[in-house]
Amino acid sequence: MTEGQEMVRKGATDLSAQPGGAQERMGLETDLIYVPDVDIRENSDCLRLEANMPGTDQDSVNVSVENGVLTIEGQARVDTPPGAKLVGWEYGVGRYRRDFTLSDAVDTEGIRARVRQGVLEVTLPKREHVKTRKIRIET
Amino acid sequence: MFDLVTWPKNPWSIFDELESMQDGVNRIFSERGYDRQGVRRSRPTFPLLNVWSSADGVVIDAELPGVDAKDVEISVLGDELTLRGKVNLSDPGNGETYHRRERPAGEFARTLQLPFRADAGAVKAHYKNGVLRLTVPRSEEEKPKRIAVEAA
Repeated sequence: MTEGQEMVRKGATDLSAQPGGAQERMGLETDLIYVPDVDIRENSDCLRLEANMPGTDQDSVNVSVENGVLTIEGQARVDTPPGAKLVGWEYGVGRYRRDFTLSDAVDTEGIRARVRQGVLEVTLPKREHVKTRKIRIET
Repeated sequence: MFDLVTWPKNPWSIFDELESMQDGVNRIFSERGYDRQGVRRSRPTFPLLNVWSSADGVVIDAELPGVDAKDVEISVLGDELTLRGKVNLSDPGNGETYHRRERPAGEFARTLQLPFRADAGAVKAHYKNGVLRLTVPRSEEEKPKRIAVEAA
């Protein structure tokens, strides 16, 4: 991450609200880093993380693990309609990034990720020894 | 739902229509999910929109990551456009627990008042990478017309 880059939530007051302001001159692409909203679910086998990253696709998203920290990143793009003027803006378009500290229970080799309809889905399997096992009681 | 913006029905306003569109959009957008300090209000605006305008009409982008296209309903009546639907309503599966649940979930509805009557039959909607793009043309009779000055 470049120093000085501000991290914000989408929809916060990150854009100039004034007519004639920065967005009207320069469009929607910002230098801000957006912190995606996430859902995290757990079952007996794995953790599942879903991150809202609209405007990204499979090729513009990166998922990495280093020193027990999962990092999700993405670069959103906007197709500006030709010959039209931006007249109203509620969200900017730029980079997404968020870090998550993983517990030892996650099998980092088995992490899988995909992007569907602007949602990044990461599946984090648990290591064998921490999986809940149902033990049949013998009679 | 927020108050609808009313537009002046002055026939001479076509010359500053872009400006009045701007005003209207900003007033619509002052009803956002965050206040001026960036603090989230109890009911955030959803979905977030960006709007472009041209002589042909407007283009509206709505951030709707992960929705099912069949769960979104777009209706146009005269100069009112309504977007409603539901998002992220799946219940946790068997034996699943949530650690975080930040993504917006539930039913949503937003109505925008356009600065013109739309050609409802010609509205196009395209969903890509979690962004819904609506192309809303003006009705033919509202399109600006170029009037040739005849030489005497």
